[in-house]
Amino acid sequence: MVDSNNLESRIVEIYNLYYLDVYRFLVCFSGNQNDAEDLTQEVFIRVLKSLTNFNGRYNLKTWIFSIAKHVAVDHYRKKRFVSLFKDVFFNQLSSNEKKPDEVFEVTELKRCIHEAIAKLKPNYRAVMILRGISECSIKETSDILQCSEAKVKVDYHRALKELKRKLNIDIEGVLTNAK
Amino acid sequence: MQNDKEIFDMLKDMYPQHPSKKFVALTENTLRQQARSMNKKRIITKFSVMTSVFLVCSFIFSWLILSNEDSKVSIEINGYGTASSNAIDEKEPVVYIYHSHNTESFIPELQTEKSNQMFSHTKNVTLVGKELSKALKKLQIKAIHDETDIAGILKRKGLPFSDSYKVSRENLQQALAEHNSIRMIFDIHRDSLKRQDSTIEIKGENYARIQFTVSKTSVNYEVNKKFATQLHKQLEELYPGLSRGVEEKGVTPENTYNQELHDNSILLNIGSIENTLEETYRTTDIFAQVVKNYLEGRN
Repeated sequence: MVDSNNLESRIVEIYNLYYLDVYRFLVCFSGNQNDAEDLTQEVFIRVLKSLTNFNGRYNLKTWIFSIAKHVAVDHYRKKRFVSLFKDVFFNQLSSNEKKPDEVFEVTELKRCIHEAIAKLKPNYRAVMILRGISECSIKETSDILQCSEAKVKVDYHRALKELKRKLNIDIEGVLTNAK
Repeated sequence: MQNDKEIFDMLKDMYPQHPSKKFVALTENTLRQQARSMNKKRIITKFSVMTSVFLVCSFIFSWLILSNEDSKVSIEINGYGTASSNAIDEKEPVVYIYHSHNTESFIPELQTEKSNQMFSHTKNVTLVGKELSKALKKLQIKAIHDETDIAGILKRKGLPFSDSYKVSRENLQQALAEHNSIRMIFDIHRDSLKRQDSTIEIKGENYARIQFTVSKTSVNYEVNKKFATQLHKQLEELYPGLSRGVEEKGVTPENTYNQELHDNSILLNIGSIENTLEETYRTTDIFAQVVKNYLEGRN
């Protein structure tokens, strides 16, 4: 399927097609740009290494996303970045042209969402990001995560529910504090 | 309180949506270098594998030459380095003979005045196939002769006569699956011409004339035709006039005569309703020799 002599042009082509999708998935997953960039590079190095064995059973995008998910989960296992990213995250938030108290509220809200997501277990997180942000279909998501479509639906539903529950608790707290 | 879309929109603009340009360029570069070094490795591996294969082959080759100097065995090495010889493997069948219209018969054999009695369950074209396979056996060519009573099966299953080829096809496919040694396939029939058209006298004896039929609607039309033409030419050289040539049929009604299953698959008409079995046997004996010549590449 892949002409090995043409490996370089193949990988460059694939990289340019998909780096943004992969990065966006990973930035949501890891919660900061630096990690996301490192992981993105890691993903494409893995893609390159297994490109000659890629048998076309899945489509390319699905295959790359499943590698990205593995990289993300491996990374998550290596270091639980729940505590780590808080500081990084605040440094990254660009202040926009809004009134100070509004800025605070938005920032707080974002922090809440962020923490809520970080608390989700990796699999839920992956399903949520794939379905909600990367806009993968149920079929694609089930291929990426290598589980049934029914599981994708159920996990997505549960992940959202849990996220909202956490958010509601947190947001109410934030709003009462802000006033 | 929050709908899903809002949450996701917020998530989307929570993080920088683009990696830094520097990162993108750097990564592309890294990948390029990796790919190049992988290519180099692959070429080196390929080269070393090929070298070792070459060395092993030349070792075996020289060993064979040396060890065979005393004996008179010569092994031809073709371009792929595998030994091939024109000797026919006696254990494996190389010819498959069958009869889609197995009850087609010969009037002189049935001692009947009625010319519509052209079919028989005992004295029919199957005997011609049997004679051919015997003649081939004498020449050390193993043949499979399928004597299945196709007409009987059609009758039992209530199928029309036109389904003959579908029924005969089943055994053929199975045989092809079991023996990849089969190099030619003949479906033997007899024609319904007048005696003067289907008979030829050679050295004072009557022979049933033979005709090759190729389906125009088979995907193998070209190769089948080439095969039939080669056999026809050989017969012409040996016994001019014995072959009636290559006929192209199968357009209306459309029929491939199962010829799409093999490159060398053709339909033979040996003799006609007014020939005797003996006349057809004379022809099959000659035809067996032609088959042998073909297999040995003398065409």
